Order: sequence, then structure tokens, then C-alpha cells
Amino acid sequence: MSALGELRSLKGAAAPKQRKQNKAAFLFLLPWFVGLALITVGPMVASFALSFTRYNLLSPPRFNGVENYIRMLEDERLHKALVVTFQYVLVSVPLQLGLALVLALVLDRGLRGLALYRSAFYLPSLLGASVAIAILWRQLFGVDGLINIALGWFGIEGQGWISNPETALGTLMILNVWTFGAPMVIFLAGLRQIPVMYYEAASVDGANRMQQFRHITLPMLTPIIFFNLILQLIGAFQSFTQAFVVSGGTGGPVDSTLFYTLYLYQQGFANLNMGYASAMAWLLLVIIAALTAINFWASKYWVFYDDQD
Amino acid sequence: MRGITRRRAGFVAAIGAATLVLTACAGNDAGGGEAAAPELKLSDEPVTLSFTWWGNDTRHAATEEIIAAFEAEYPNITIEPQYTDWAGYWDKLSTSVAAGDIPDIIQMDEKQLSTYAANGVLADLGELSSILSTEDFPEAVLGTGALDGTQYGVPVGINSYTIIANKDLLDQYGVDLPDDETWTWDDFVATAEEVATASGGAIVGTQSWGFEDGGLNNWLRQHGESLYDGAEVAASEETLAGWWEFLLEATEAGATPDPAATIERESGGLAESFTATNASAFGPWWSNQVQALRDASGQDLVALRVPSTADGSAYYKPSMFWSASAKTEHQAEVATFLDFLANSEEAADLLLAERGVPANEKIREYITPKLDEVNQTVVEFLDGLAPEVGDAPPATPPGGGAIETIIDQHTQKVLFGELTPEQAATSFIEELQRALDDAAI
Repeated sequence: MSALGELRSLKGAAAPKQRKQNKAAFLFLLPWFVGLALITVGPMVASFALSFTRYNLLSPPRFNGVENYIRMLEDERLHKALVVTFQYVLVSVPLQLGLALVLALVLDRGLRGLALYRSAFYLPSLLGASVAIAILWRQLFGVDGLINIALGWFGIEGQGWISNPETALGTLMILNVWTFGAPMVIFLAGLRQIPVMYYEAASVDGANRMQQFRHITLPMLTPIIFFNLILQLIGAFQSFTQAFVVSGGTGGPVDSTLFYTLYLYQQGFANLNMGYASAMAWLLLVIIAALTAINFWASKYWVFYDDQD
Repeated sequence: MRGITRRRAGFVAAIGAATLVLTACAGNDAGGGEAAAPELKLSDEPVTLSFTWWGNDTRHAATEEIIAAFEAEYPNITIEPQYTDWAGYWDKLSTSVAAGDIPDIIQMDEKQLSTYAANGVLADLGELSSILSTEDFPEAVLGTGALDGTQYGVPVGINSYTIIANKDLLDQYGVDLPDDETWTWDDFVATAEEVATASGGAIVGTQSWGFEDGGLNNWLRQHGESLYDGAEVAASEETLAGWWEFLLEATEAGATPDPAATIERESGGLAESFTATNASAFGPWWSNQVQALRDASGQDLVALRVPSTADGSAYYKPSMFWSASAKTEHQAEVATFLDFLANSEEAADLLLAERGVPANEKIREYITPKLDEVNQTVVEFLDGLAPEVGDAPPATPPGGGAIETIIDQHTQKVLFGELTPEQAATSFIEELQRALDDAAI
């Protein structure tokens, strides 16, 4: 049974014994709920209130109605940041998930030393959003970086990949794709859940590997793909560190890596427009929520739940 | 602390100066005092003060030593250091202020001074004058730390915008060091181009400019303008466009590196700069950066006058200020520490010229013979500039700190051809003015 399928069956449960178990579960979840309320919900409510104010951090906020929201309509840098962020998400997330799926399929075929490979591939996911990796990226893609040295062996003259407005965003997309380990591990777990009898039945019927993949693996995996898609989409929209470190905090060259969150940070901390930055945060929340909702709606048409009645 | 002030107020009343009592009481509310400063007294209890600054490792080490020397002299006072690099400094400071946790002693920058002062974060240092003396500071330099007659910052060091030349590279490629008393901007670009050509592309002529406001201020002054007038952007579109136009011409002539290389170095900070890595014959910098640049490069770097300064366009910029929190509970101790930083020979011995050539004239005289050769030449350079120095440009108004991002972003767009110099000028004024309007109280 898939993780999402399990969630679904939980929802329907109502027996008294299970209710008792639920109580225990909620008790165990309590510390997490307290954290959520204090560290996430509290500041969110505060930022919603601040989004209707002018607030420079140094003096108390002053109410200014929906001025911040109106300003977003005409802020060209904000629009540029949205374009950059959407490009980044729409290109890197599908590539990342595709790569994760392919590698999961390869690893699932019972390679020797699977645990080792799994760890090695998972490692970038742990490091991907770190400052160290972003600095490494600068070194890799710089004018005198490793990439150019390698290209030099083939007689190709490289360029400053991170300092050229046409390629800078691409290097960050590659960085995101490189962190495919987390979705890969989830895909691997999903693959293990597909009952072997389906494949046995299919091979008795003469289905080849490709047909088995197309008609068994893929449909059975759709809940996992959906889960990964939602998770990575939300994560990618919130990317910050990579662009911050690679561009030295500017979002340059020429705003080509101006992620939404980076611009939000610039408004909040460099320009001391914390009210406007709060409004921006809420716009981002609305965008992510809307995309997630669309995805859930669309999932009806392509996600297959084995345990559906 | 409060009790002591009352006792003292009683003493003043006893000698019959009723008006002084009133000001002494007023001095009890933070930030309210004016006229005669209250007499401050050190507490008998142990006091801990927080002290925040930005800088590099050299500065952190020197400042920690100063703190140790101060604590040895005043065993009752503990100084708690909070330091970071420039990039993280302002995020941290603004957040501490928002959290109501303002450090007692703050290293301040000219671009931020008015913003913090206007929002009531900084103490009126006049109130600390019974302990903190500023009499050894030249009036004009001291004035850069005052806004509307209230002193919010004691200038620490003075700086001037310079062109740093790498003498070793010039020698290597057989180019003479230009005469900086007579050279023009065209001479500068021509010489840079000459070196670049002579090196066959091994090094660049000069680093690009346009990533901070020092060069722009200089250019505007040479054209009889200033960046600000009160809370308005006063620079004209023509002059701004001319500045970027000149940068474009220099780039096309091959005097400055191609835009991508410039941007890559720019985001890497001082250590990765062309000048620090001996990849450029010239580069525009502030005079207090000479030491760090020489440490990194290991070659003979000299500070030259910016072209065409004979017209009085040069100015001394305070490298930074010492400010205090308006909300501090320990005014006397803060004043004592500030006085130690600004006026003591002990602190000067440890700091030398790390925060710029001391603005305090007495300290400057005292310290000059102790400086190493590099910094002595910087002192000489600044002294030599004196006849050509005009008044400091009008103070940066609240919100002006945003210029850092705005200027950088527009120069990038000009270099990559996304905006013409004229379009950049229009957009620059618009965005900077918007930042000032946002910050208006």
C-alpha cells in the first residue's frame, strides 16, 4: 500500500479502539504541534498583519491598508523575480524527478552494493541547499572553474557560467537537479511496494519489460510521483541559499538569478521594507497554494490508487 | 544608575543651578536631553555592555585586544563582542533593533547613520560629553557624524576614494606610473589600455567601477553636483548617464575587463578582486582598503589621486562611526568605552590604521610614526590631498542604504547592454528616490 493510500484509509477509521490509538498518536504529535503553532503559525499571522503596514524594523509598524499589494502590481523587479522563479521551478523540478525515477529504477534491479549507491546519491540532497555547496558551485562554474578546465581538454573555450546572464540560472537549475537523492529514495520505497505477482502475471501473458513498466510500474507509482512532485515544487519555489551565495546576494548578473525569496529578502533587509516583504511572502503562499490545489485537482486524472473502492 | 543620577541632581541643586537640574532630569529619559550634558557617573556594580562591529579577521583580533585592554583598566565593565562581516551586519542589527535588543555600542556606517538616527535608535552623544570628549576631532570631520546639530556618531577613521595602482605590474610591462596630480580621466583609461595591451591580455588595465557610491559621488562632485539634497536625489540624469557612458567606453576600449569577468569578481568580494589577485594594473578603492589589498596581493600597491581632483572634488569620508544605543541603561559606561576607543593611545596602539587613518588629530599624530610603510604612505596621501579636499558631500538621507543594491543592479544592466546609460540614469533616480520616500518618517 502506498503512503497516500494509507493516509486515505486512516481517514475512514472510526472504531473505538482506533480512536484510543488516535489519542496516543495526537499526544505524540503534540510537541510538533506546539512547535508549529509557535514557530510557524504565529509568525505567519504576524506577517499577514504586517503586510498591511509600513514597517522598517527600526520603528513600530504603521497601517497603510492595501498599499503594499497595489505596489506589487507595478513593481517590475517583482515581476522579473516571478519569471525567474517560474522558469527555475518548471525546468528543474521535472528534470530532477525524471532523473530520480530513472536512477531508482536502475537501483531497484538489485545492484550489488545498493546501500552504498543509495547513500551516495542521497548525499547531495542533504548538502544541496547548503552554503558550502553554493560556494563549490561558484568554483565549478567560474571562469577558471573545473567545468572550464574540463572543457579545455576538448579544446572548447569555456566562459563564466555564473556571471553570464544567459547561463547563470541554468547552473542553479543543474544544482537543483543534482539533489535528486531525496525523491529517488522515496521512489525506491515505492517500487518495493508494487506486488511481485503483477509482474509475474504480466510475464505469463507475454508482456515485455517496457510494457511492464508502462502498464504496471508507472501506474502503481503515480501516487509517489504525485507526492514527490508536490514536495519538490514547494521546495523549489522557496529556494534561496543557492542564488544568494552564487550571486553574492544580488540576484545578478542582471537579475537573472533573482529568485522570489531573494528579492523578498532584499526588500525586507536591505531596503528595510518589511511590510512590503511580508505582503510578498503572502503572494508566494497564494501562488504555491494555488498550484498545489491545481495539482490535487489534476491528480484525479492521472494518479492511480490501488486501494480505491 | 538611576539612584546615582538623582543623587547627583541633588548636588547640582545644592549649588543653586536650577536650570541644570532640569536638564539633568531630562537627561534621565533616553534621548531627551539637550543643552548642558548631565554629569555621568560609573556604577559601582559590575556592568556588561554589548558591542557590535563589522569587519575582517584582522579587525576582529585587534578589537578583541582593545576590549581586553579596556577591561583590564575597568574591571567592573565587561564588553561582550558581537562581530560579523559587512554582508550580515545590517540584517543582524536591524533584527536586534526590531527585537528590542539594541547593542549598547554600535559601529555605524555613513549610509545607515541617518536611517538609524531618524528612527530613534541612536543616542545623542552630546549627553555623554561629560565623559566622551570630541575636542581633538576637526570640526568638519566631526560634523559628518551629526544630523541637524545632534551628534550621533564619532568618526573613527578618514578615507578618500583613490585609484590603486600596482607598481610591480606597471614595471613588468614597461608602463610609467602616471602623474596623478595632473592626470585626466582620459589619461587614466589610456594608461589602463596601454598596460592591458602590453600584457597581451594576461592582465586587465583597470577594474570596472560602478558597484558602490564612492566613485559616483566623486564623479558628481567633479560635475558640480551631489547625490542628495536633503531627502531628494539631486544627481542629474545627464551626469549619471555620462558616468555609465564613460564606463562603457572604457570597456569597449579594452581598458576594463569584459562584463562577465567583472561580475564574477565583484560577487567574490575583496579577496577575489582583480587588484588583490594581481590581475589588474589599476582599480578604484577606498584608501583604508590598501592594507588588506596589499596583504592579499603581496605586490607594491600605491594609492593615486582620482583623475582631475585638482578642482576640489576630493573629500574625506569617515570610514565609520562609533554610535551608542539610545536605550542603553549604562550611559556612563558606554561613554567611558567610547572615549577609550576614540581618544586613548592604548586603543590606537592596538588598532593602528585598521579602521582608517584616525580622524582624531592628536591620535593620528601619535600613531603615524608607529604605522608600517604602507599605512604611512596612506597618511601621506591623505595629507597631500588636503589642499584639494572640499566639504564632505551632503549626508545620506534615511533609506539611502538601498543605494548599494540599486547602483550594482544598474551598472550590471548597462554593462550587459540591457539598459542604455540614459535609461539607467532615469531608472536609478526613480528607484533611489522611492527608497528615500519609503524611509521618510
